[in-house]
Amino acid sequence: MANVLDLRRRIRSVKNTRQITKAMKMVSAAKLRRAQERMVSARPYAQMIASVLDSLTRRIDIFDEETGSLAHPLFAVREEKRVLLVVISGDKGFAGAFNSNILKTASNFLEGAEAGREIDIEAVGRKARDLLRRRYPVAEYSEATEEKRSTRQSRKGRVEMTGDHPGMLLKLESDRVLELAKSIIDRYVHEEIDAAYIVFNEFKSVIQQRVIVEKILPLIKIGDQQVTDSAEPTAEERARAGQAAATSGVPLTEADTHEAEEEDKKFGTANVDYIYEQPPAELFEALLPRYIAARLFHAMTESVAAEHAARMTAMDSATNNASDMIDSLTLHMNRVRQAAITKEIIEIVSGAAAL
Amino acid sequence: MADSNNQLRVRLVTPERVLFESTASAVELPGRTGHMEVLYGHAPLLTELGAGDVRLHGAPEGDAIYNVSWGFAEVLPERVTILANDALKPAEIDVKRANEQLDRGHKLWNEAGDSEAAYDNALEVIAEAEAKLATATEKH
Repeated sequence: MANVLDLRRRIRSVKNTRQITKAMKMVSAAKLRRAQERMVSARPYAQMIASVLDSLTRRIDIFDEETGSLAHPLFAVREEKRVLLVVISGDKGFAGAFNSNILKTASNFLEGAEAGREIDIEAVGRKARDLLRRRYPVAEYSEATEEKRSTRQSRKGRVEMTGDHPGMLLKLESDRVLELAKSIIDRYVHEEIDAAYIVFNEFKSVIQQRVIVEKILPLIKIGDQQVTDSAEPTAEERARAGQAAATSGVPLTEADTHEAEEEDKKFGTANVDYIYEQPPAELFEALLPRYIAARLFHAMTESVAAEHAARMTAMDSATNNASDMIDSLTLHMNRVRQAAITKEIIEIVSGAAAL
Repeated sequence: MADSNNQLRVRLVTPERVLFESTASAVELPGRTGHMEVLYGHAPLLTELGAGDVRLHGAPEGDAIYNVSWGFAEVLPERVTILANDALKPAEIDVKRANEQLDRGHKLWNEAGDSEAAYDNALEVIAEAEAKLATATEKH
């Protein structure tokens, strides 16, 4: 049986751990609040872009006269032979099942999808990159020359990594996201890919979130979310998250922004004849990359918030577990101490009796 | 006409946040095809923005200048909404970085060769850097 000194040392060590996890939980809670604010403040832009695009699609002059569909390469639906998957994970661990849930959904997509589909991966966030890099080869491109864009070397496998963006989430800047969006669009327009999907953790509130696979290209209808796969958390996980949020002062429900959103939806859709400074088709063309970028940006802000929420929950669990452990160790230690005292008394008493 | 009620509601929105929300009596916009000023009662208009300054006149908190690069603006008779890719106050502009950007733009321009897209790209970078520098130096 362990002696009192050992147990005391253990308790001290667990107490230290508890302090660390508690601090991490509070830090995550603060970061979560900030991420949520950012999420909300990024919404008007995304909403407005979607609204104005949607209103533009109703103008006749960007439609193909023959087919009656939108005459734009991003609306062209092709058979999905090669697809792009953007995996948005976290940059750090200690976030419970957050990263593994995303990677599981991503793997389902990569392995389970109709066989024969070639898949390119863009990894955002370090965790996804680290894992996927180990599993899949990196794509190689030939040098771009003046008159020719860089072309791809022959594939090394069905699934290849075409790029990664570690640290993009640490300092989320719209410029970098726009660049990524442009590169995706470029590949789509040049028919290097036939569709683009994005895997991320959707985050409505601490208790309302899920991992989803969303199709971002080709566009079918502006403003519609095309979710092709989703994984909801279990009721138990949700309860844990709610509990963690309650103890760290994070609101469970979102602030009501309904009114402001209604306002944003009106952007560019007023029922009047606008003067178009540029031809509508040109405006449309320039707006689309921003729209895709806004979608990506939105996904990333949600993912960041979800990561912090997951870490907060995980750290709350860890803190609770540490407390339980301290309780049981203290009880154990007291028993051991008591046993030692009893033993000593018995020894003294029996020693005295023997005299 | 100079009624104090003739105020435009102005919103300046970037992908990251709503930067500015207030009223103003006039707004100058750097349209892609040319500079324009919008007063109360302007005809509805949609335009793409280039790089340049958005100037607000007669706002309750005084005139304001924002350097915006690329975006869109919707003008309605009583409302102006600006969707900017990026917007900076003059004090926030990093002259050193803007100069670097300008150099990068010139480099892109020199390397563009025959590619039209590369030229457009280089021009965008140069215009953005020049607009930033113009805004920044004006204040000093």
